[in-house]
Amino acid sequence: MLLAPGLPQPPWGDSSRAPHDPDALLTPLIMDPKMDSGIVSTYYSVDEAIENGAAPIPLNFDRTSDIQCVIDIMDHFLACEATWHKGGSLAQTVYSCIYLLRPERTSSHALLHSFCRVIRATCSALVSAVSDARTNEVNFTSGLKILRYQSLLLFFRSILAWLSVREEDLFTMAYGLPLKANGDEKCLSMIHAVDETLCRQLKACSAPVSEKAVLEDIEPLQTHLDLEEDFCKAVLCRIRFRKHFYHVLTCLRKPQGRGLELAKKHIISCLSELDSMLNTEEFLRHNSACGTVKNEDEKTTASGCQPVGFDSTLNSRSAAPTPPRAIKLLSWKKAVNYFQKLLHDLGVICSYPLDPVFEGAMRFVVDIQKFQPDLVARAHIQSYVMQWILMRIANEQLLLVQDGKLYGRESLFAVICKAALLPEGAKNHDIQKNESVQQLGQLLITLFRVLCANTAWQRRKLGKILQDWRIIYVQLELAFRKVFGEAASTPVEQDLLLRVCKHILIWVEEQTYWIALRFLMLGFELDLYSTDEYCMVYWYIYIYLIKLAEKTHLKIMLSNDSSRRKSKKKKDFVKDVGKDYQVPPVVQLIQCYIYVAQGLMMMLASLRNENKIFLCQGPFNSEHERFVQHFEVLQKACLPDHASFFSFSETVANIRFSTVSMHNCFKDAQKIAKDLRGGFANNPDRLAELRRIEQVAEHNHVALNLLCRLGSLEPSLKVSFDFIHHPHFATASVKRS
Amino acid sequence: MALEFDTSEIEYMSYSGEHHLPLIMNLVDQELSEPYSIFTYRYFVYLWPNLSFLAFHKGKCVGTVVCKMGDHRHTFRGYIAMLVVLNSYRGRGIATELVSRSIKVMMESGCEEVTLEAEVTNKGALALYGRLGFIRAKRLFRYYLNGVDAFRLKLLFPRPEPDYSDSIKSVADESEEHGDGMPPEERIIQ
Repeated sequence: MLLAPGLPQPPWGDSSRAPHDPDALLTPLIMDPKMDSGIVSTYYSVDEAIENGAAPIPLNFDRTSDIQCVIDIMDHFLACEATWHKGGSLAQTVYSCIYLLRPERTSSHALLHSFCRVIRATCSALVSAVSDARTNEVNFTSGLKILRYQSLLLFFRSILAWLSVREEDLFTMAYGLPLKANGDEKCLSMIHAVDETLCRQLKACSAPVSEKAVLEDIEPLQTHLDLEEDFCKAVLCRIRFRKHFYHVLTCLRKPQGRGLELAKKHIISCLSELDSMLNTEEFLRHNSACGTVKNEDEKTTASGCQPVGFDSTLNSRSAAPTPPRAIKLLSWKKAVNYFQKLLHDLGVICSYPLDPVFEGAMRFVVDIQKFQPDLVARAHIQSYVMQWILMRIANEQLLLVQDGKLYGRESLFAVICKAALLPEGAKNHDIQKNESVQQLGQLLITLFRVLCANTAWQRRKLGKILQDWRIIYVQLELAFRKVFGEAASTPVEQDLLLRVCKHILIWVEEQTYWIALRFLMLGFELDLYSTDEYCMVYWYIYIYLIKLAEKTHLKIMLSNDSSRRKSKKKKDFVKDVGKDYQVPPVVQLIQCYIYVAQGLMMMLASLRNENKIFLCQGPFNSEHERFVQHFEVLQKACLPDHASFFSFSETVANIRFSTVSMHNCFKDAQKIAKDLRGGFANNPDRLAELRRIEQVAEHNHVALNLLCRLGSLEPSLKVSFDFIHHPHFATASVKRS
Repeated sequence: MALEFDTSEIEYMSYSGEHHLPLIMNLVDQELSEPYSIFTYRYFVYLWPNLSFLAFHKGKCVGTVVCKMGDHRHTFRGYIAMLVVLNSYRGRGIATELVSRSIKVMMESGCEEVTLEAEVTNKGALALYGRLGFIRAKRLFRYYLNGVDAFRLKLLFPRPEPDYSDSIKSVADESEEHGDGMPPEERIIQ
């Protein structure tokens, strides 16, 4: 075996003296089935497959069998498409269909031909949608005219360079595949024609005897008249699903105007047709030609039969860049479930108003991750949010024109001003031209993009951008000081400038702590922490929650302060400030979280100190190394300055159960949550959140009381922390094993 | 089904030649989900034979670990490529012993950290590495061919505390040689 010079030699020294062991000198295992199971193929080309009868037209000369075969193809397409969405390559899934690879062959079979056209059009639309979301070109390629936008284009290009190969890149790979065929743009009218024919056939077979004479000239779908109605319905729901799904994708590309409303209607129709498809399963299975199916979980058709005309190995040479491997298709049932979920997630996007405020948009991208949207849904979320952002970054000088309509009457700076609770007039301030302020806008766009990604990738990127947000704070501070020092302006102008700077700086700090918290919380969702590490994680969360509450409260108070000063005379203002001051509900909610985090940190610390459980010990390193690794990005961002392993150790070293019970954290959390119900009465999401936190606090309070009473733990008693009520705050339970 | 045996009957051996290679390959092919070609095995065992270990019970190879180490983005890092123990021999600490031996060699060779990937569903492996001090540094979306996510596990070795005593002494010696006239305590404090 030849080794590159400079590398260590094999154990026996020079390769020329290698043992003459035939096993050791095996021929290269390039064709090893285990390694390259996808390369072994039945046919070496599509034409060879066709010549050997792999994709007959018609599928069967018996019309009933022909229809059964077509339905099987339709079902198998669904399974292939779902597998493609879930990470399979297009070449090995949807385009493993020979009929799709040779579109001209199916022209004599109206049903199959129109179905293949709509499949191709759908795949093409999806590839475009995901590709556009990936490259942010959606508004640049659809005829948008933007004046003086070079800096933004440069920014997006730098984003492209920064982003590494991701799942979207594999999804959109379609080397050499006929994604578009002539006439595909007419797919809807063709499928509509087939729909009409089927409706007439269905009407004919279900008409009363008196009407049958009138409908005699309508040729039935297949030859067994007693099965005609069920076969018609089975085909109808499948082609209607495809029709509506294609409409969903096209409507989502135009979210302005009635686009989203129409998309919602088609989503409802899609879901209804999927239900109808499930209802046809029993009929198709009982009337299939292939008999009973051994493994229900593996069948890719409702009937259980193998479909005609598919060969996943045909495109092995175009399934780049990975070597061809055999893939497992999702079953038909799982494919239907996948589309039900996808449509649900797309429905959530459609239900969201296109013109939200910043906090609303942030909450939208964060909350929608609860549904764990797959790639296609996430691509649409990202496009939707990017559209929203691009609509806001135009200002009076830069006109945003799309399809002849004028958009964008606000700037991104205006979005920031609104989020920072500045008065309306602040959005026109010249400070927006400052380079650091513009960079802040770019950071905001990056944050949105990151929040649209899958949670694993999202967490890694949140950790990386944290430092950028810290740096921008420092840059803004310096820039504002310079502007303040240089500007020769009136006291009123100075006062406004001071207010703008203060609000923006506080808002930047608030967002930075929000990002850090999201980074930590996602660790629970991704199951990155072991129970031994919960104490240090909750310690950090506790610190950040305090900072977040501080900044949020300060932002709100500053804003209230400004409004009161405007409307009141000085003496009235001073009287009002202390009177009946209510901590804003959003800050109270954070206070509630603070108590829960503190309680968990203290409970875990007590268990470590008194019962010697959940200790971070190992033969090769200590808790210090684990702390350093988990929180490296937070430490690098110096967020906050004094947080370190030593401050954590000092905090938890002397905590005992007696200390914890004195603090009464969980009880305080419960009280706040109860009081807040009124404050969030019109917000069902917040009410649901309050209920979850109350349950966590209640159960933990009970567990804590029990642990305090028990003192030392018997060996048969086990304490565990699970996320049964809330995804980020654990619930303790003490059980006998 | 677990086999009855005494753990003292298990012999551990460092990889010592081509005769061990088919034993490793058979074990890994049999027990692990990802397929590897012979080139992959040779890459590891030829370049880092001292990081691969085998476990034998009465002459039968029942477990193996295959690793490498090298520079990765300015960090000298060990990597655990494969760890496998026959099903009937699991739960008796053989895997822990195999991995621990490799990690010790990595530590002695100057590695700053050790890393590996494991399927998120592999509870046994995650528990084993967790006990050894590995953290779950990242989650890798759909990392494996079967679409399952993976955790990137990392073990950071303690960094030696910088020893300032010698450097203080040498600064004091230097300034005495140069005779700068400053009192010793002021020379030390920078």
